[in-house]
Amino acid sequence: MIYKRKIFLVLFLIGAIATISIPILLGQRTQAIPLAGGKTTVFNRTSSAYEQPSAGISQKNFDLHGEGDIAFEAVFVTPPANINPGLGPLFNNASCVGCHIRNGRGMPEKGQLLVKVSQNPSVTSGKVKDHLGNLEKTVPGGSALPVPGLGTQIQDQGVYGHPPEAKVEINWQEQTGQYQDGSQYSLRSPSPKITLFNGEPLPDSVMTGLRIPQPVFGLGLLEAVSDQTILDLADPEDKDGDGISGRPNQVWDVEKQSLVLGRFGWKANQPNLLQQTAAAYVGDMGVTNPMFPEADGSSDIDSKTLEVATFYVQSLAVPGRTLLKDQKVKRGEKLFAAANCNKCHVEELTTGNYFIPALAQQKIHPYTDMLLHDMGPGLADNRPDFDASGTEWRTPPLWGIGLTQTVLPYSSYLHDGRARTLEEAILWHGGEAEMAKQAFVNMSEGDRSSLLRFLRSL
Amino acid sequence: MLKSTLNYNWQKSRPILGTLLTGMLLLGTGCSSSSPPKTESSDLQITIIKDFADVVIIPTYQQLVAKAAKLSQTTNAFTSNPNETTLKAARDAWIAARAPWEQSEAFAFGPADSLGYDGDLDDWPVNETDVKAVINSNEKITQEFIGNLQTTEKGFHTMELLLFGNNNNKKAKDFSPRELTYLKALATAFDATAKELLQSWQSGVQGKPPYRQVLVTAGDENNPAYPTVAAAIEEIVQGAMGCLDEVGNEKIGEPLATKSAEGLESRFSHTSLNDFKNNVLSVNNAYLGEVAMAGTSGKSLSELVAQKDPELDKQVKEEINKAIAAIDAVPAPIETNLTNESALTKLEAAQTAVLALFSTMEEKVLPLVQ
Ligand code: HEC
Ligand code: HEC
Repeated sequence: MIYKRKIFLVLFLIGAIATISIPILLGQRTQAIPLAGGKTTVFNRTSSAYEQPSAGISQKNFDLHGEGDIAFEAVFVTPPANINPGLGPLFNNASCVGCHIRNGRGMPEKGQLLVKVSQNPSVTSGKVKDHLGNLEKTVPGGSALPVPGLGTQIQDQGVYGHPPEAKVEINWQEQTGQYQDGSQYSLRSPSPKITLFNGEPLPDSVMTGLRIPQPVFGLGLLEAVSDQTILDLADPEDKDGDGISGRPNQVWDVEKQSLVLGRFGWKANQPNLLQQTAAAYVGDMGVTNPMFPEADGSSDIDSKTLEVATFYVQSLAVPGRTLLKDQKVKRGEKLFAAANCNKCHVEELTTGNYFIPALAQQKIHPYTDMLLHDMGPGLADNRPDFDASGTEWRTPPLWGIGLTQTVLPYSSYLHDGRARTLEEAILWHGGEAEMAKQAFVNMSEGDRSSLLRFLRSL
Repeated sequence: MLKSTLNYNWQKSRPILGTLLTGMLLLGTGCSSSSPPKTESSDLQITIIKDFADVVIIPTYQQLVAKAAKLSQTTNAFTSNPNETTLKAARDAWIAARAPWEQSEAFAFGPADSLGYDGDLDDWPVNETDVKAVINSNEKITQEFIGNLQTTEKGFHTMELLLFGNNNNKKAKDFSPRELTYLKALATAFDATAKELLQSWQSGVQGKPPYRQVLVTAGDENNPAYPTVAAAIEEIVQGAMGCLDEVGNEKIGEPLATKSAEGLESRFSHTSLNDFKNNVLSVNNAYLGEVAMAGTSGKSLSELVAQKDPELDKQVKEEINKAIAAIDAVPAPIETNLTNESALTKLEAAQTAVLALFSTMEEKVLPLVQ
């Protein structure tokens, strides 16, 4: 009963919005408020801010989103089991939400931090012994060569009785630096100690890269941005001479069986959200699926589950900004542009056609160009991934970043979670972003705090 | 804990309505003003946040700690002298410890998730295959061993499986020595985790400031989580909504759709109805700023709502009571009543009552605080 009533109300409201509000929404309001996710934006500045379905999606898509929510939260267990079987034998975590906590990022800790590995072709000494149950395969065009016995990712957990591939310990090293005004800061960086299941250290021939889980909201909008829009932002030769180039990654599309533009992951090494999700199931949870099945073609989950989990991340809304009238925020926004942060963290993009109509043709404010940038030796993992070099990273979107500590207190920033604060995240910028970093270092304390307050308003 | 199975039966109709409504209100109120949520804060709002921490959240976790200690004591007594009396005491202590935990689920934000306590205490479902393998192995069961287990192999529900058996049918003589050792170690670990969770709010853990401090300083310029007081007030409402959504659509909705007890949260002990009720009580406590179990009370969201719309405040209180009464009316245990038509009708009525409260929170209370 109540559902019918609600559907009626919804239709009524859509009508009302269309006639009364959309002109307002598209008129004065977009000039006044840069709506983060266009018309799909939601207003929620609490710990559930990343858990909202996009505004304006159809009832059918809303229901699909709800099914996806269940899949995203489902905790898998060792088969046989009546509920959620299929975990492992090797895995990093038992659920999507176990890493992407409340759909935000994860911590640089066991069960959440991933260690990507690949064989360094130029080092021949040292071999890893085969480990049963590893599922990653070589893909065409990939520069990350799977390590025999380990694949391209270390699974540091196994179901009971199945030894994990390795044990990962992280030690943090501190270093200090100084702002131009003389005040000091301290930065930390991780050094992993990886011990293989048989007690041996990881050989030098294996290159490693640490990754914390990224937030997963707003991704449908980023998938809806056309290739051309992204390619138009690229300036691989730095023709405009601003010291900032920006290159697309070219990665393997399993469905199309060809190389396409990379979009997702810290190095943009996944082409789309379906493949990202399928790879997460198999690689992070040991859950085989129709895209990455068992040797005999069977799989732990069916295509419906894979689809709804994918749909969930495609349809999660971006939270709107806060503190828009705050004077410091306004000043910070100007400083962000003045320091050229927006050369990479591009404020505004327009989405193209998309299978979820509400997400198509939206003016969005993601603060990313979706391109790879050389961020210097300080941030390098020295592990190439497709066209991304060991020093290149995809500009992460900054929308919603001000809610990071609301959603997941004590969490951290950058690909390996080394930055404990937004301030530290900026201070690690180097390479193409060296000048922008210097601009920040040279700012007065008041300006630095305005810039940070602007980031926290996103 | 989030309780998800891969059986789809999604039936809520939340966001289109919610977000559009919110959007409408915003548009309605402020074409000229450019900021969606209002940011001015009153003394009442500030007191509400402080009391939310001090008379609701912390006392609830204190209750959990007290009951976890009792669970550990009675489990020790049972495992060192297994008989029906000691078993019953341990089971009762388990059921008692569930209450404060389920009553904390309308405010599960903060360290509970980010420091992993929620998972360690209450992951679901139980990894029964691995639990059996642990029992059948010879591996020494130490606290370190428990620490390294997956979260689906410890906490409430693994203890529940061990204590009550697969269908609330275990006898004291059925326990193997390995089960007793495992159970005892789990209760010890559980006790320690509950203490840490309380500490994370009260005095801080791992060199981090207590989370109470973060919440009660909402609106301060450098507050890491809540730059406005309004956001902290909204946290109370969103937490209540999240909890009601989960009880209505998942905890009740799933078994209603499948007619299978498999998806019931506390099915081993046949106490899932308690969980539903305690979740609604959690919303009650958050809304009214009180914890009956602890005898605490203070300023609350209820007063703020009453100031702006006394009728609405009355409606919320009534709907909370109706939801609790509707759950009470379902014949217990629901685990064995899912084939009983009249029980199902009552369960459906409970779902309707819970979702009615959810809608009121979303459509009426939320816009008032945003
Ligand atoms: C063990 C932790 C872990 C689990 C489990 C996990 N992820 Fe991730 N996820 C990550 C990490 C780490 C990254 C970044 C990977 C990279 O850069 O190579 C990531 C990236 C992503 C991205 C890309 C985000 C972006 O902005 O580019 C999506 C989407 C995603 N995961 C979805 C999922 C889904 C869906 C599931 C469940 C099926 C899942 N993840 C399970 C750790 C995890
Ligand atoms: C040359 C391109 C470029 C410029 C210019 C740039 N950034 Fe970045 N930014 C990046 C990349 C790439 C990363 C990811 C690096 C990593 O994870 O190792 C990043 C990461 C960040 C992060 C952390 C995001 C997260 O999700 O963890 C913040 C915050 C940030 N940048 C802010 C800024 C600010 C403020 C400025 C201007 C002072 C700026 N950036 C200038 C490319 C850039």
